[in-house]
Amino acid sequence: MREPFLTIRNLSHTYMKGTPLEHVALREVSLEAGRGECLAIIGHTGSGKSTLIQHLNGLLLPQSGEVTVDGLHLSGPKPDVKALRRKVGLVFQNPEDQIFEKLVGDDVAYGPFKMGYPLQEVRERVRWAMELVGISFDEYKDRPTFALSGGQKRKVALAGVLALKPDLLVLDEPTAGLDPYSRNELLNRIRELNRKEKMTVLFVTHNMEEVATLADRVCVMAEGRVAAEGTPREIFGDTRLLAEHQLGPPEAVEILHALHRRGHPVNPGAYLTEEAAGEILSLIRERE
Amino acid sequence: MASAFELTRNMTIGQYIPTDSAVHRFDPRFKLVAFGVLVLAIAFCNTYVGNLFALAFCLALFPLIRIPVGYGVSGIKPAVPFIIIIALLQFFFSGSIAPGGTLHFEYGVIRITGDSIRLVIVSAMRFVEVIFLSSVLTFSTSTTDLTRGMECLLSPLEKVKFPVHAFALVLTIAIRFVPTFAMEMEKLMKAQASRGAEFGSGEWWRIIRRTKDMFPLIIPLFNLALTRAEDLILAMESRGYVPGEERSVYTRYRSKGADWGLLGISLALAAVILWLP
Repeated sequence: MREPFLTIRNLSHTYMKGTPLEHVALREVSLEAGRGECLAIIGHTGSGKSTLIQHLNGLLLPQSGEVTVDGLHLSGPKPDVKALRRKVGLVFQNPEDQIFEKLVGDDVAYGPFKMGYPLQEVRERVRWAMELVGISFDEYKDRPTFALSGGQKRKVALAGVLALKPDLLVLDEPTAGLDPYSRNELLNRIRELNRKEKMTVLFVTHNMEEVATLADRVCVMAEGRVAAEGTPREIFGDTRLLAEHQLGPPEAVEILHALHRRGHPVNPGAYLTEEAAGEILSLIRERE
Repeated sequence: MASAFELTRNMTIGQYIPTDSAVHRFDPRFKLVAFGVLVLAIAFCNTYVGNLFALAFCLALFPLIRIPVGYGVSGIKPAVPFIIIIALLQFFFSGSIAPGGTLHFEYGVIRITGDSIRLVIVSAMRFVEVIFLSSVLTFSTSTTDLTRGMECLLSPLEKVKFPVHAFALVLTIAIRFVPTFAMEMEKLMKAQASRGAEFGSGEWWRIIRRTKDMFPLIIPLFNLALTRAEDLILAMESRGYVPGEERSVYTRYRSKGADWGLLGISLALAAVILWLP
């Protein structure tokens, strides 16, 4: 059998091991993702999501267990962290904080320059990355970074990571704190990266609507463990699981669950707004 | 495996650890005074025996505040390079010679005397003792208590128009934001490393390049600090803070017999440290 693109096996991590402030963040986490998949990680604050994704590009090294990305092993005495960081692009929460250059183009070019690409190649990459996130290269490359809006800044920061052309894009709450318009815009860009550019995407979120519209698969984390894993259909269809982890499902799902509880013949696994609307519509037609 | 990015997690000194020992419950004003008394005693003690006694006493404090001795001792790790540099400088260049002292070696400005050897050993011990004492103080006293205690102790200075409250506030805010900025810095280091940055990898003599490597960290950090400062001003003013206004306090310290006992013990210890041969 072919090895999946990303494999995490029995990964554990403890912060400040051997001190009075010891804190276990990950306990025996195992997870897989295929090439081109879009995987969402949900769970409460402190459930180990951020610790988990920092292992994906070697910011944290496994204390026990294994992480493998596209055949690159991140364990053993000397893992090739540099090669791994070319493969895996990690976008932190509020990535606009990391912008430091005066001009937009220079900031996006920081990564490719650091990787040692020649000028022409860097220029190509910057153009490609900026156009991908929906910022016109010709129009914006010479604009000062401080004059951008919040949503634009976040796109520039995303472009700064994309310019490394990663195979796996990891995003930590990519839409937190954005206005609804920028949020939709950014989500559409991420979807395009996944569907058109065939980039494998892994994102952490608290927003179930995002899970519903974007993810192929969902992983629910709780107390440093993988509590559940499945398609959005499976996860949102499981009322007990949702209640246990206090996950507020999308409104459409809640309506369907409520109807289901009252004995109406609807399929509560229909999690997309359009599907849910279809279910409700057919229910209304039936009664007429 | 330790990570290169864990700035905040490996600093033991300055960390408050609520183990609720007897020492934790002392009045912070008294703890501060006792701390001052002991530090002064250590500063003036230049005998081997006195310093050995002080060292043993400092080590004995860790079990007393229910902190593993190993964890407390690890607090000297970041200071080791400084101790070594200071010791080397003193060893070669202090050159003081007491009447009747011995001169071991002399070449140009380098003079090694019996006194300078003693100075090296004693000052390294003092350094370690003071670090242990400060660790014990910060392990057992929250920063709020420390600055409040400081404010109370300094309050007589208000008579000579010294802005005690403002001073304490500046201190509180500064201490409060150290971990915050350390965390921001950690996050920035990780974020830039994800974009291909490498820190501290260049040759050490290429100072300009290594300084430039820090720009991606320093510039955003300044940005964040200024934004935070503005937010803090707004938050304080919207909750009614007026600079220079008379303010009441929520907690008042009342000294108990035990607190005076602590002061007495520390004075006695100071006396022992100073009078030991």
